[in-house]
Amino acid sequence: MADLVSMPLQGDALWLVPTAGGQTSNPVADSSSGGAAAVHGAAPLPRAVEPAASPLIDLSGVSYTYDGEVSAVLAGVSLTVRPGEFVLILGPSGCGKSTLLHMMNGSVPHILNGKLEGDAVICGKPVATTTVAQFATEVGMVFQDPDSQIINTRVRDEVCFGLENLCRPPQEILARQAEALDQVGMAAFGDRSIFELSGGQKQRVSVAAVLASHPRLLILDEPTANLDPAGMAEVFAVLARLNRDFGTTIVMVEHRVDELADKVSRVVMMDRGTIVFDGPPREAFSSRRVMHSEEAEIIPTASWFPQASEFAIELAAVSGEALDPASLPLSADEAVGFCCGRRFAAERSGASPSSAATATATPHHPTVPLLSIAGLNFGYDRDAPILKAIDLDLSSNAIVALLGQNGSGKTTLARMLVGINQAPAGTIHLEGKDLSLLSAREIASYVGYVFQNPDHQFVTDRVDEEIAYGLQVRDYAPDVITTRVDDILDVVDLKRYRDRSPFSLSLGERRRLSVATMLVLEPRLLVLDEPTIGQDHERAEQLMGLMQRLRERYGTTILMITHDVRLVAEWADRALALVNGEIAFDGTPLELFNRADVLQAAGLLPPPIHAISRQLAARNPDSGLGPVLSVPDLVSALMATAGSALA
Amino acid sequence: MKRSNAFQFHSGTSIFHRLDPLSKLAWLIGVSLLAFGAYIAWIQIIISAIVLMTALALAQLRPLEIIRSTWPFIVACLSFFIIQSLTLPGTHVAFTIGSLRIYVESADYALASALRIYTIILSSMVFVRTTDPRDLAIALVTQMHLPYRIAYAFFIALRIVPTIESEIKIIRAAHAVRGVVKSRSVVGRIGEMKRYAMPLLVGSLRRASMMVMSMEGRAFGAYPQRSFVDAPHAGPLGIALMTVTLAAVVAWYAALMLGFVHAIYVFAPA
Repeated sequence: MADLVSMPLQGDALWLVPTAGGQTSNPVADSSSGGAAAVHGAAPLPRAVEPAASPLIDLSGVSYTYDGEVSAVLAGVSLTVRPGEFVLILGPSGCGKSTLLHMMNGSVPHILNGKLEGDAVICGKPVATTTVAQFATEVGMVFQDPDSQIINTRVRDEVCFGLENLCRPPQEILARQAEALDQVGMAAFGDRSIFELSGGQKQRVSVAAVLASHPRLLILDEPTANLDPAGMAEVFAVLARLNRDFGTTIVMVEHRVDELADKVSRVVMMDRGTIVFDGPPREAFSSRRVMHSEEAEIIPTASWFPQASEFAIELAAVSGEALDPASLPLSADEAVGFCCGRRFAAERSGASPSSAATATATPHHPTVPLLSIAGLNFGYDRDAPILKAIDLDLSSNAIVALLGQNGSGKTTLARMLVGINQAPAGTIHLEGKDLSLLSAREIASYVGYVFQNPDHQFVTDRVDEEIAYGLQVRDYAPDVITTRVDDILDVVDLKRYRDRSPFSLSLGERRRLSVATMLVLEPRLLVLDEPTIGQDHERAEQLMGLMQRLRERYGTTILMITHDVRLVAEWADRALALVNGEIAFDGTPLELFNRADVLQAAGLLPPPIHAISRQLAARNPDSGLGPVLSVPDLVSALMATAGSALA
Repeated sequence: MKRSNAFQFHSGTSIFHRLDPLSKLAWLIGVSLLAFGAYIAWIQIIISAIVLMTALALAQLRPLEIIRSTWPFIVACLSFFIIQSLTLPGTHVAFTIGSLRIYVESADYALASALRIYTIILSSMVFVRTTDPRDLAIALVTQMHLPYRIAYAFFIALRIVPTIESEIKIIRAAHAVRGVVKSRSVVGRIGEMKRYAMPLLVGSLRRASMMVMSMEGRAFGAYPQRSFVDAPHAGPLGIALMTVTLAAVVAWYAALMLGFVHAIYVFAPA
């Protein structure tokens, strides 16, 4: 089965792609990144960045309206990107950034149909008259979900797919796939099944699959949204290397700016279909702006800023200094450098360093026992256990984060708590009652579960009926149902949409509705499965604000499965880290981020502010500084250093 | 982290994994033809035994795995056997259970029927477990000259089945958490499917749209033809398997037509 077979080529005609002008060209030979060396399978040479070269993306006054929509999703967008640039596009959900990306390979308007106005030229080809397939050798596109974009079942087949479609000879295809896999650090994975790979590895395969065609432009739409921090770091490292060593031009939409800000050369910010900022990252993150959410609410851009930049802005504001954008830190290391040699005035401090350093370290000791797990082992196959010897107690009125790498058993454990996975008798108790002896409805009266995809939970055709459903099946009186539904609609701010279909709401609204369907039952324990996936930080903050209100109102315990360490640092009382199905850590978030061994085993990265404070404390042992988890805490601690210069 | 589906491809190194898809497809068709043509229990026992040995030795499936994956069919076949044995008419009594007479002819026919169903299920499992849908699609293009767009549509459909299956499980779990009780009646099941339809449709459309963009973005459909790396072809083993299968089918149907096959009952008369 290893023989190489090529379908008969009908002369050179198969190599010719019609261009906009009706002429024909060889797309691979024409590609500036191709060339003789690439065609013969030689390793590509690093390419120099040529800022003066002709632009790869040249948009002028571009507007776009999807078929069936009234308002334009892009309104008068002008953007020029030259070879070698690494551009990060930021903006709230619904601002048009994904539409803009899809225009860069012709998916808009040729697959996602609509009306295109203005001049849009990508890699010298007009978007309006160039099909997606004709862009294939010029533009490579990587999407958010690797499982939806990977077509084949074996790594090598996936990387070869594009070149096979271009009718390249098998020998050349094999050489290029080897080169592409090598570029993403997966040279030894060619024969592996896609299903055996981690999320990060799958996304690297997706990158390799488009790199094999030697695209001049690499477009990525939130490529790390579904990945754990370790997977995210893998992908970002590969992209930085491609841009630095091979001069690949990259345009990317991504919410996880902490790990990316110091790698990009330019930041574009979008709001309501227009570009509101375009410039270098230090300038982008040096001042706060106001933007608008999909629901037209005003949101601050600070929520997307790197935490290191946010810290510098806050520090400058408190100490009354003017912040020079050129000195703005983008990473933890730069933030430490930013503090070095500075003196901070003690009188401006709002808290002592010791209290700031230990405030978040105080463990939460709730009093009411809620859930008890003892000696839990579980696996779908007896010889492949997923959960091993789990011992855990959860009390009321707490926010608990469950962390770990993809596949570590987090979702399996969480699903046991609502009876989706059958718990072995005597291992899980809810308020003293054996979970295995409770019916699904009895369990649901104690525990709510908010799924990753809110669409999965909807069972009716109206928003208010959706919230009422859980009460109706539990035979609540109609007047009680009406009161509770009205109450919850207020809490989640969906009253104005009560008559609409759940599927017609925006993602943020659907997420709030799915939470509301659980809230209405007033569960003692609410499990949130990856609440921040595919959402910007602002939306995640809104959701956690809602959780906080729920906790205050009903004393509910929130167990959230998440990879978002900033969210954990900000909101969680307690953190649990699962490693290979075992609880490797149980303590406060601060204690977790102090444990480098656990972080490594669980594939986690500490939030930048923790890394900054820890480094500053290590460099200034007599300053009274210690690791903290929030920007205000570190700023307060620094202001209390009584004017001594920091090392 | 879910239990993997037994009726989907699992990579491996067994002899059947190494065979080309069309040789295995010919084997599957041949086994099905033999099973359909054999109405006598002893012949079915031989065919079933050969398929079982193929599953264990040539496809390297574990006995426990076979039982676990096909137990609903085993139960159905056993039920089928019992019901037919009790209800079909016959002339020679094989044995009696109380006042019930079990006839040689009916028991023999019931056994043949039950084994026929199980043989086809087991041989299908062997084929699906050892054949990468992509290899099958490519073989259909390179060996059967099917247009590659059609072959890939077939492949994508097979590729997406486990994903949809898993999504239905998630939706069912999500609805159970909402308090939706799994219905046992047909009407209830229809209502259940209606509830599943919308989230499934929304998810499937989103996924299909993503796949289309992913494929077209990599020049799928740009040319009338495409090249293939690692296209499977029938090796000596595949050719031998097809020859033996063809010979067995021809021999069996020729023997039937010429009247060489005589009924030797498994259940001897009492």
